[in-house]
Amino acid sequence: MKTAVIQFPGSNCDLDILHVLKNVLHVEAELVWHRDFKDSEFGAAILPGGFSYGDYLRAGIIAAHSPAIEHIKEMVSEGKLVIGICNGFQILVESELLPGALLMNQSTCFICKWVKVRVETDETPFTRHIKRRTVLNMPIAHAEGRYVNDPEGLKELHENDQVIFRYVNPRGEVSEDSNPNGSMDSIAGICNPERNVLGLMPHPERASEPVLSPFSDSDGLKLLSILKS
Amino acid sequence: MIIENKKLARDPEGETIAKELIERRGISTIKSVRSGKYLRFLVEAGKEEEALRLVEKIANELRIFNPVVHICNIRIMGESR
Amino acid sequence: MLESRVNVNLTPEEIAEAKRRLGREPNEIELGMIDVMWSEHCSYKSSKKVLEILPKSGRRVVVGPGYDSGVVDIGDGDVIAFKVESHNHPSAIDPYNGSATGVGGIIRDILCMNCRPIALLDSLRFGNPQSAHARWLFNNVVKGIADYGNRTGIPTVAGEVEFDESFEVNCLVNVACVGLGRINELTLARMDNPGDIVVLMGGDTGRDGIHGVTFASKTIREDSELERPAVQVGNPFIKKLVIEATLEAMRTGKVTAVKDLGGGGLTCALSEMSSKGGTGVDVELTNIHVREEGMTPYELLLSESQERMIFTILPESQDEVLRVFRKWEVPYSIIGKVTDTGRIVAKYRGRIVVDIPSKLLTEPPMAKRRARKISIITKKRASKPPIPMDFAKVMHHILSSPNIADMHPVYRQYDHEVGLRTILKPGDADAAVLRIIGKNKAIAVKIDCNSLHCYLDPYAGHAAAVAEAARNVTATGAKPIAVTDCCNFGNPEKPEVYWQFKEAIRGITYMLKGLGLPCVGGNVSFYNEDEESGRAVKPTTTIVMLGLIERLSLVTSMALKEVGESIILLGKTYPELGGSEYYRLIGFDGGKVPKAVASRERASIKTLAEAIRRGYVTAAHDCSKGGLAVSLAEMAIKGGLGLKVDLAYVLHTPSMRIDEILFSESSARFIVTTSEVNTAKILSLARRRGVPASKIGEVSASSYTVAMNGKILFECSVESLRESWQDAIPRLIGG
Repeated sequence: MKTAVIQFPGSNCDLDILHVLKNVLHVEAELVWHRDFKDSEFGAAILPGGFSYGDYLRAGIIAAHSPAIEHIKEMVSEGKLVIGICNGFQILVESELLPGALLMNQSTCFICKWVKVRVETDETPFTRHIKRRTVLNMPIAHAEGRYVNDPEGLKELHENDQVIFRYVNPRGEVSEDSNPNGSMDSIAGICNPERNVLGLMPHPERASEPVLSPFSDSDGLKLLSILKS
Repeated sequence: MIIENKKLARDPEGETIAKELIERRGISTIKSVRSGKYLRFLVEAGKEEEALRLVEKIANELRIFNPVVHICNIRIMGESR
Repeated sequence: MLESRVNVNLTPEEIAEAKRRLGREPNEIELGMIDVMWSEHCSYKSSKKVLEILPKSGRRVVVGPGYDSGVVDIGDGDVIAFKVESHNHPSAIDPYNGSATGVGGIIRDILCMNCRPIALLDSLRFGNPQSAHARWLFNNVVKGIADYGNRTGIPTVAGEVEFDESFEVNCLVNVACVGLGRINELTLARMDNPGDIVVLMGGDTGRDGIHGVTFASKTIREDSELERPAVQVGNPFIKKLVIEATLEAMRTGKVTAVKDLGGGGLTCALSEMSSKGGTGVDVELTNIHVREEGMTPYELLLSESQERMIFTILPESQDEVLRVFRKWEVPYSIIGKVTDTGRIVAKYRGRIVVDIPSKLLTEPPMAKRRARKISIITKKRASKPPIPMDFAKVMHHILSSPNIADMHPVYRQYDHEVGLRTILKPGDADAAVLRIIGKNKAIAVKIDCNSLHCYLDPYAGHAAAVAEAARNVTATGAKPIAVTDCCNFGNPEKPEVYWQFKEAIRGITYMLKGLGLPCVGGNVSFYNEDEESGRAVKPTTTIVMLGLIERLSLVTSMALKEVGESIILLGKTYPELGGSEYYRLIGFDGGKVPKAVASRERASIKTLAEAIRRGYVTAAHDCSKGGLAVSLAEMAIKGGLGLKVDLAYVLHTPSMRIDEILFSESSARFIVTTSEVNTAKILSLARRRGVPASKIGEVSASSYTVAMNGKILFECSVESLRESWQDAIPRLIGG
């Protein structure tokens, strides 16, 4: 299975995720310019982090109008896997492939720091190898990452088991002070009802080599390794 | 209060919206887009003029906008009930 | 006729010289070009002569001063390009856009060498945080750097912030960029081949930056001041596209040179590129893609619009390169050709409007400046402040000083992880450490200066700044290999300011020579003074130090690691509290500024480097700002562990007081931790190099304890120290 890393104007974690896929996980992956992307060649796609179109208007909205998104929708309907990381998550939300919205952080500024997220479900193709309630170390780096949804939407997410990651404290508990951006229910990552589209704010590619982690671990690989199959 | 970049200052946000979102859709009747910031103040004041002056004063004193790069427009929206 | 239309800053002598070299009267466009190129900003006419004394060569130097950035060989075909620049004046009036465009400018300097920008560092100085104006500048400068740097995908990995009343009006914003490239792929911004095609790529050209030049043209008069901003607005989105398009264009192998357009715009880029190559250039100004209508040749040649690059491309090969620009959707225009005439010939609608030798523009007459020593500065007071009653209280105070306190409110706004290189992150160590992906090596980078020391003694202060930056990278496991600097001074026409500048460069030169380090580039910013009061900023030359870490296993952070480990102090402590954070805190004016002696620095640095190389060192930290007490506290806070030290074991000159031992900022010192078995080995390494060293205590669980001859002087919990240190900036600044 070949994975496409889609490069939008302003993407800036494209080379990072490509490095991890190719050099750390040794999976087949290719960087594809958004205008050149055709879904048929790929088994999975990653929308990388960054600031597509400068985050102008709303993070992700202008990229959501790229022709690449039509091809992504095609892949999704065929049941292929799509992962949006940070800005990629924002693009998926703005493309209505994932529900809700990502607003400006509670603190009103960009936040870059390592956080802990808890795996809420193992009933997705993305987390099927990770035990439920496992706590992962990953960094966040975003200005617009506060997940919000209306009460019904939120209820639906929980009922359908679509919440995949939540921010937690070192004891693995959801708490006010471990929620870095004010996300509702400390949501850090969700999937679609069909469970083949994942969006998350933390950066697994930045947590894939022990040398880069303050904890000398590589928790991001636990997630990304699903692209090996 | 509407705060915008001065007319001859660049506005990367407005320019990107105009070029990447609107022009790309083949819409040519929209000639430009300018972005800005919008603040709504609820002011306790006897007269509209008084409210306007107060908001103007704090906008200047508290540097709510930077006259080096911004223009600031203050209008009365109406009365609260 | 001429004088009536053009108002230039050139002196009558300079105008006469220009006429003599040109052999005729320059027309008004040419005069405008000369005016800009002979300005202090572009010509370094006050500083060039002084800067000549700096050591510039070394076995690792690939490109020294004179190009857009210095380049250093780090082995295996890899090179590091790095450069620092100030953006003080724009930031002082529009801190958000001023600092953002500062970031934009320095990135372009790295790009010119065909290196990928991999890190940003910033050095910021503001007035006292009690001032609302200083806080406004601080918050907006940080936001401007964050918004621009983050969007370009370059991590901001290190920096420093200093607060001092002399920066109340004129804040200092120095931004450095580090790039990674391959030695055989480097390009130099010079036009070597007549016939090459000249292409202008990037943002549209507008009248940006021209209104600053007092040119009485009709079109400019029509623009009301109300409509034109005094500082440019940058577009980091376009910048990101320019970065990727430039690097991809270089990979075609058809690009012969690239240069960024900064101060002096097209005039500066064309004249420097052709002058360096001994060539000339013909351009048609009408071809330039513009943002505003009716731009005159003068405006097109001198516009300083952001996010623009000049490319020269092999003849007949432009299609391959232009295809890359089209893919990235960055605008471009083919504007001319390189010639062999040695002249810049600019046409407008086919008519020649400028015809001037390149070298006339790039080789301006130097300015003669006088220097006069400031005598009030070296204060030596016999009197001393009273000894504080409560040292624990002093500790909390000093850790919450804005010059010492935790800067996480700043660096958490910067993406310091993007690029997957940042091993030691902001706050982890004395310098940031970035790995070279795919290789077992890393670089350490640091930006630093102590403006108070530099003010009290420009020579000693600047020598110490170099030494401290060298110690900083050494403490992370690196060997210091090269330096670039950024000078920030007042008006050089004032003899006292010029003296400060000369002393600074002398001090830097002394320490660089002593440590065997080259200075591969730099930037000079003068006229940092308040026009109304005539008050200048404290003389500040920020030093950017590059270090090479030969194996990743050598990377060392400052956090205490394990209870029971020994704490060793390398270097001797002298009663040097002049300009110390402690004296600043208690408001005491006097004392001697720390003196940096090159031989001592070298010995301390070599000792630590060897101890790290042998695997003895578990944590290392330079001991400077705030003295021994503060450096120890920082290591404890980072490690979440305590310590117990006995001042009786600190090697110092006779009859020093307790507060002097704790807070002296003497140079050439490190604090290191090591296991019990390796303690004697480190002490013996030190002895062999003649470095005074002793074990002063041990790592403990949670308490910060200071004793003298076994008797406890004071004790505080590390947790409480952490609170003082962490809460200070949010409390003082908000955020």
